[in-house]
Amino acid sequence: MVRNTSDLIDALADSVTPVRHLYPPFLRAALWLSLAAIVLALLCLANGGVRADISIRLQQPAFVVSMIGALATAILAAMASFKLSLPDSSRWWLLLPFPALAVWVSTIGYGCLTNWVRMDPEGIHMGEAARCFATLLLTSVPLSIAMLIMLRHAALLRPTAVAAIGGLAIAATTAFALSLIHDLDATIMILLWNLGTAALIAGLASVFGRPTLAWIAARVSPALPQQLSGRRD
Amino acid sequence: MTRFDGKSGKVSGSMKNSFLLLPPRPVYPVTESGTDDRSADAGKQADMPSSSKENPPYPNAPRLTLVTSTAPDNQRTSNGQSDWSALMAKAQDGDRDAYRSLLKQIEPYVRSIAVRCFNRPADAEDVVQDVLLTVHAIRNTYDPKRPFGPWLVAVANRRIIDRLRRHTRQKAREIELSAEHETFADAPANLDSTTSVELALVGAIDKLPPDQREAIRMLKLNEMSLKEASQASGRSIAALKVATHRAIKNLRHLLKGKPW
Repeated sequence: MVRNTSDLIDALADSVTPVRHLYPPFLRAALWLSLAAIVLALLCLANGGVRADISIRLQQPAFVVSMIGALATAILAAMASFKLSLPDSSRWWLLLPFPALAVWVSTIGYGCLTNWVRMDPEGIHMGEAARCFATLLLTSVPLSIAMLIMLRHAALLRPTAVAAIGGLAIAATTAFALSLIHDLDATIMILLWNLGTAALIAGLASVFGRPTLAWIAARVSPALPQQLSGRRD
Repeated sequence: MTRFDGKSGKVSGSMKNSFLLLPPRPVYPVTESGTDDRSADAGKQADMPSSSKENPPYPNAPRLTLVTSTAPDNQRTSNGQSDWSALMAKAQDGDRDAYRSLLKQIEPYVRSIAVRCFNRPADAEDVVQDVLLTVHAIRNTYDPKRPFGPWLVAVANRRIIDRLRRHTRQKAREIELSAEHETFADAPANLDSTTSVELALVGAIDKLPPDQREAIRMLKLNEMSLKEASQASGRSIAALKVATHRAIKNLRHLLKGKPW
């Protein structure tokens, strides 16, 4: 155990090894988004293509705006989370995805107001829900693991903010995948799946983001020398 | 926050948008033998005309030599931050000396930030160590093209904020013990029972004969092996074993009947 600071400096200097610089944050965000695109493509393949009524849906401005909003939220939130994970970046990057988020949420709200979303019990059908749940897990779990590993150094800096905004990116990607693959738009399910999932993932990320990032950081690449790894409380 | 080291003439800390006038260094004529001629008449120097290579005005005057710094390249810059950036870049490549030098240079700077936030020196020192550990853990996130100072200050601020939050949480849950919390007026009565056991044991060991006391200290308290103790004391392993056996027997006798 190190007793004073000069001993600590000696221990750190003796244990220093060459490290690889991180790639620029936006390039890393692009890598993560590429992974998301691959996951989406695989899901589409497994599902036998996108939803059947996609050509009709694409002619509806509300659907198109909602999809673009979700996609833009995912891209901007991913960029913000990678940027925020660096120590010398401004915390105002946190606000980057909010305009797109506002567009996305307001489109769904508009759908509810104009009866585009049916609020009656017929709007709920559970058969599709089970497949939706599988899509949700298959999208969000690999993307969450990838993001936690890529952002593990944020565990010591801004864990909660980075995890929350990263969770938003995952949630928006998942919602985009759900809307692309499953035909749930005209039902109340869209609220449950899109916004419910987004709120759940972002909420879980902000609550458990700090310990999970710390856990991943300690296991994926223990950055501290072994004799010092027990020091951090 | 800007720091000027008067001894080395180096400036460290945030230099953004700030200008600093460095005191001019005195220039002394240097003789061919390499020694400074500091007793040269200042008035005479002031009267010296500009020197010309073809026709030196004072042929008998000692030749002036330009004295350059012998400091390594990475410490010769006037801006402390580019020093740190260069040192950190070398540290990222695994240069231990550069890394040690960098950590030693940033340590007082980080401490100056920490002492503003924590009253107790021990807390400030904890933060300094925490910041150094964090710098080590995330050194791959530093981009050598960017200034090192803001990166370091951001890391320090994040760790300080984290620790302050933890302190606040602890303060909300814990109460510091004061004199009123003592159960008995007699001070030894408030001691933990383990402490009194330790005190009794230490007292009993002191009462042992010297050879037994030495054997107990080496083999039991310092946890040396028989071989190491034999080498250290010059006694045979058998003698040490016998001394330890007798010492334990004596200790058992001395401590018998003590109330625990």
